[in-house]
Amino acid sequence: MRKRAIAVSIVSSGAVIIAGWNIGTHAQTAQTTEAAPVPPPTRVAAPPAPTQTVIPQPKTSAPASAPPSIPAQPAPAAPAAPAPSNTFTGSSVSTPYGNVQVKVTVDAGKITDVTPLHLTDDGGRSVQISNRAAPILQQEILAAQSANVDSVSGATYTSDGYLKSLQSALDQAGR
Amino acid sequence: MATSTAHPRTSKRARQDGPLSRETVIAARQRARNYRARARAADLMGILCWVSVALSVSLYLAYSGSSQFTSPGGFITAAGIITGLAGTDLILLMLLLAARVPWIDKTVGQDRAIALHKKLGKPALYLILGHGLLLTVGYSITDGSNVIAETISFFGLGNDLLLAYISTGLLLGVVVTSVVAVRRHFAYEAWHVIHLLSYVAVLTALPHQLSIGGVLADGTLQRIYWIGLYVTAFGAIAVFRFAVPIIRTLRHRMRVERIEKIAPGVVSIQLAGADLRRLGAEGGQYAIWRFWSRRTWWHAHPISFSAMPTDRTVRITVRELGRGTSRLTRLRTGTFVSIEGPYGIFTDQARTSPYLTVIAAGIGVTPIRAMLEHAKLRPGEASILLRGSDGSQQYLWQEIGQIAKNTNASAFSMLGPRPRNYPTWMSAHALANNITLESTFPHLHESDLFICGPAAWANEVLADARDAGLPEKQIHIERFDT
Repeated sequence: MRKRAIAVSIVSSGAVIIAGWNIGTHAQTAQTTEAAPVPPPTRVAAPPAPTQTVIPQPKTSAPASAPPSIPAQPAPAAPAAPAPSNTFTGSSVSTPYGNVQVKVTVDAGKITDVTPLHLTDDGGRSVQISNRAAPILQQEILAAQSANVDSVSGATYTSDGYLKSLQSALDQAGR
Repeated sequence: MATSTAHPRTSKRARQDGPLSRETVIAARQRARNYRARARAADLMGILCWVSVALSVSLYLAYSGSSQFTSPGGFITAAGIITGLAGTDLILLMLLLAARVPWIDKTVGQDRAIALHKKLGKPALYLILGHGLLLTVGYSITDGSNVIAETISFFGLGNDLLLAYISTGLLLGVVVTSVVAVRRHFAYEAWHVIHLLSYVAVLTALPHQLSIGGVLADGTLQRIYWIGLYVTAFGAIAVFRFAVPIIRTLRHRMRVERIEKIAPGVVSIQLAGADLRRLGAEGGQYAIWRFWSRRTWWHAHPISFSAMPTDRTVRITVRELGRGTSRLTRLRTGTFVSIEGPYGIFTDQARTSPYLTVIAAGIGVTPIRAMLEHAKLRPGEASILLRGSDGSQQYLWQEIGQIAKNTNASAFSMLGPRPRNYPTWMSAHALANNITLESTFPHLHESDLFICGPAAWANEVLADARDAGLPEKQIHIERFDT
């Protein structure tokens, strides 16, 4: 390679990297100002609510398409008389891209709503990914009436965390 | 004449010194233009290589911004993702370099492309190993667990990561078997089969890139670009390594027509087929041939054209070097032949200067023979030195002598073994007589120097040419493995 070509390579490679960095940091600041409903938790997996069950190894989930494997742990409360309509908050599940926590509304044994309290938000694009995945998961869950649904492709961590948190909420609801 | 010195084979007739003719000036301008175009294309290729690596890093930066670089765990994780992206980019570049893309061959030649391919192997492997290692450490710091627990948890993440581990293992095997010291212990075919696993390695790495992590997530530009890279690399291989050779083979339907023994262990194989000028072979090029007989079909041989193809015949000349080539000397007529190629820029097209100087040793004479036939030489334009360690190595010398005579070229021969304990390309006798490139070739500095012969020998000529101050663009070299 001639000297000029080496110089052009260095300059254009540098430009490409700086451009990438700028895009990344811009996307990040844009998202932290407008699209973060809950203050981001610290990276150390400390659950925000003390009453929730903490899952110590969040990434040891079952293969993407299989249901999360928590049913072995029974619900803490006796399921004798489940409240007719109630809201349950799932445990906060940590993933490499931030914590995930959902709230489920159960009406007469039927899941009527799932709302994310916190989704993966670590890194500029995570917010975008989780915002895309959340409505899909919600729809699937309402249709299947359980946490036994496929994860969204390209959002594996978000899906796993989402479904795990949901399962822990459903356990509380005695379903 | 066992140890003859360099001596004129045809009498040196009055060389056309003095001002160059009009045609020569026009030809020189054309060559200068060709050279500039090639050099620009080669520069562009180098730049594209570097920028593609930078782009792979940039893919991650555009995704993460600065957020990952704040904690040690995040920093290591980021480094892990970047090494994975850059390593994969290098591997895809390697596939492209080995795909025999015509643009690459015309610009730098297959041999330089393969040399770069070989150079990238280890860095690519280190990046991929670093990718796995850094991510495991990075995640385990973030999660507050240890490396082993983290690895076990990776296996729980599903089939995609399992495939990625398999991919890394395959890649390791492919690179290790290609390290020179290890490769020697494998038969070419065994090595080649292992090497083909690199396709599997690259493909099995893809699912985890697309499903895990967010850089290449669904609906992102990054994902489109990345899949585009894969499609380009595998598309190039499918087209140029498979489709084009198959189409050429079927179109030309070549069969062995005649096998002529021209010296002990050396045969010229004449092939007959249809419309062979359409191969577009240039003198000095080679092709990769496969002879479809029961004992030879599994081995493809790179062999130079030893004469320009006519409409219905092609001639190649080959020397027995191993068991594979020795079987070629006993081929039956009528054997079907498939072709990949022609390839190479050891041709008149690559020239940059008004005079032509060629030095060939042993079986290295074959591409020279075809090149001299193809080049439209003006009288006195070419000087030829043929080298053999003994009289039995005068392959095709008669034919070259005839071309030299027709074009009024000066032709020399240098027979005799190289001296022991002294690195030189010349015979001991010539060395003792203080013969040099410059003393043999008065027009050396206005010449393109074409060197063809065994690798170690050719490198000695190359060293002398450089010592004589010949610029790189005037040196063209084709090394034969021995």
